[in-house]
Amino acid sequence: MDLYLKGTGIIYTGEIPPMQLRRMGKAVRIGIAAAKECMKQSGIERPDAISVGTAMGCLEDTDNFLQKMVSQGEQMLTPTAFIQSTHNTVAGTIAMLTGCNGHNLTYVQRGHSFEHAMINAQLYLDEHPGEKMLVGGIDELTGTSQAVLQHARIYRLENSDPATLLTSSEAGSIAGEGVAFFTVAGSKQEGLNLHIKDISAFVTKDITVAVSKLSDFMSHNGISPEDIDLVVLGVSGDERTSVFYRKLQLSTFANQSQAAFKHLSGEYGTASALGLGLIMHAANHNHLPEAMVVNHPPKKLERILLINNYAHYYSYWNISVLR
Amino acid sequence: MKEKAFVVGTGIITAIGNDTESCKASLMAGRSNIGKPEFLQTHWRDEIPVAEVKLSNKELAALTGADEQWPRTALLSAVAVKEAWAPFKDKMRGLRVGFFSANTVGGMDLTESYYGQFQKDRNDVDFSKLANHECGAVTEIVAGLFGFSDFVTTVSTACSSSANSIMMATQMIANGMIDVAVAGGADSLSRFTLNGFNTLMILDRQPCQPFDNNRRGLNLGEGAAYIVLMSEKAMQQCGATAVCTVSGYANNNDAYHQTASSPEGTGNKLAMLNAMKTAGVSPKDIDYINLHGTGTANNDSSEGKAIEAVFNGYLPKASSTKAYTGHTLGAAGAVEAVFSYIAIRDGIVYPNLRWQTQMEDISWQPVTELQTGQDINHVLSNSFGFGGNCSSLVFSKS
Repeated sequence: MDLYLKGTGIIYTGEIPPMQLRRMGKAVRIGIAAAKECMKQSGIERPDAISVGTAMGCLEDTDNFLQKMVSQGEQMLTPTAFIQSTHNTVAGTIAMLTGCNGHNLTYVQRGHSFEHAMINAQLYLDEHPGEKMLVGGIDELTGTSQAVLQHARIYRLENSDPATLLTSSEAGSIAGEGVAFFTVAGSKQEGLNLHIKDISAFVTKDITVAVSKLSDFMSHNGISPEDIDLVVLGVSGDERTSVFYRKLQLSTFANQSQAAFKHLSGEYGTASALGLGLIMHAANHNHLPEAMVVNHPPKKLERILLINNYAHYYSYWNISVLR
Repeated sequence: MKEKAFVVGTGIITAIGNDTESCKASLMAGRSNIGKPEFLQTHWRDEIPVAEVKLSNKELAALTGADEQWPRTALLSAVAVKEAWAPFKDKMRGLRVGFFSANTVGGMDLTESYYGQFQKDRNDVDFSKLANHECGAVTEIVAGLFGFSDFVTTVSTACSSSANSIMMATQMIANGMIDVAVAGGADSLSRFTLNGFNTLMILDRQPCQPFDNNRRGLNLGEGAAYIVLMSEKAMQQCGATAVCTVSGYANNNDAYHQTASSPEGTGNKLAMLNAMKTAGVSPKDIDYINLHGTGTANNDSSEGKAIEAVFNGYLPKASSTKAYTGHTLGAAGAVEAVFSYIAIRDGIVYPNLRWQTQMEDISWQPVTELQTGQDINHVLSNSFGFGGNCSSLVFSKS
């Protein structure tokens, strides 16, 4: 894989602006805002193609329509919420607003939705060299989704501030939401780029498999921990994976600079996109925000690993910063 | 050098048949199945006809050994995967297999039945009713049933979803990322979609009449369909024979409106032209178009005009099969991929059922009589949807 990312628009839990655009659910609103910021940063007005990942889609509108349908016995319903509830609404709305007639895909594979949107970018850009694709990951949180995911033990029964994630290990993580978009090309774009060299995305409920997949990934990419300037971890405070992250922190990457991000955003299906967005942000400023530092700040930002999981969905990202 | 993706098998379940050959028999006999639902519990039961699969969840589950508590979309998906996969499942040693599915409703059928109770008391919850709500969860449990793990994904681009899952599978075989793919999609009827489409006032109160001047709207359907794609190497290993390849594909966006097509069918034109371009064929090479042809005033008019523009001077045989199966949404692209496969394999062009009156705003008409003994080398299959998503696939005889 060779993908070159420029610019990012990120919005996450606690930073979501109030309703600005009428008749749009939260996901569509923050999706458009992040896509616009990303395009501004990367200096494009219209992408050639769009690829989006969303684990849950447009929940607020789904909830709205469902609520009325059930309480009104399928009568006196209006179409707006239904129209906005389809999973491809964010990608379709960006296409409409930018006049992008190109390729447009939406992936909904739980914790791999964003990863598959990236793999799709690779497939598309291989066939369309020179084009630029807007790629993003987005999920919104609603009262209903939080309640359901608490029953699933994805989220803790007692939801609290995500800041406590790094120091606690319990049944489940803390609820979050967010979006990150990137302008992606198949060759180096002008200015600073994140070069994605490889992504390993796999599903396992056994953390020994996750550990061995990481060593496979590193040897396949010809990297050892000493080569890494920064490892960004999707540590989520969930006791099912805390052993995994503890091993990485105390052993595999004990001597490397470690960063985390879910204590800022909380957990959600496409949080890996936000992790990547924060890496882009750090690279652009050549400085890792204090709030992300776990042990000590990196000496330089050139070789970065992103290691994430959402429930049993894992992904590992081999990233280089090109200036 | 890119690998070709050969189509070596199919699996399908729709209102007109529980497998490939029974669907073919219904298509040949001009037999649709649009009427009152038996299983979908809705206020609109007597007013809005649908194309329902006439098997209960329990009966569907019994066909595959799936859990009858699964969402109906997963149960339908498993039936179609089982048919497609049966000839090959024991011959996969050393081959990388991808499962590319698509749907739009996920586990909504269970969620909507349980939602009222859930909102009343969020502490006393039967979580099994909500556990598979996500579109990706439906794919995950079906993948688990058949042991697919090398690559498992779900596309959700409304009515074009499963055309796009077939496109991605083709690309990953072409690039050598996998050897074998089971690609397609599934969707069950749900009150959510029925009521949603009803608010848009595009549901026909009678059996639909695609591409007829007096068309009144679409009928919703349900079903699942998958095609098995293989690289040449994989085909040799398991002794499979191909009927056709997925030779062309394109995905474009109309960028016009969230639910309506642009009057001139901008996205439709681009998808058809780009799909033929990737296939390396020109409009005169296309022997048959399986139309998107939902039966709504807007959809058929846009698609009709786009075809007129793209096939200027050479209009191939064309028909919509949605008058048989209803619009199966996330499954539609794959259902029609299976019909395209049969068209090539058996030299058949299906009649566009219930067509009576020439549309005023286009100059061509769909095929209205069954045609057999045809030499069909290239089929173009259209799938256009909400969000401006427009996809076309080209299947070429191998």
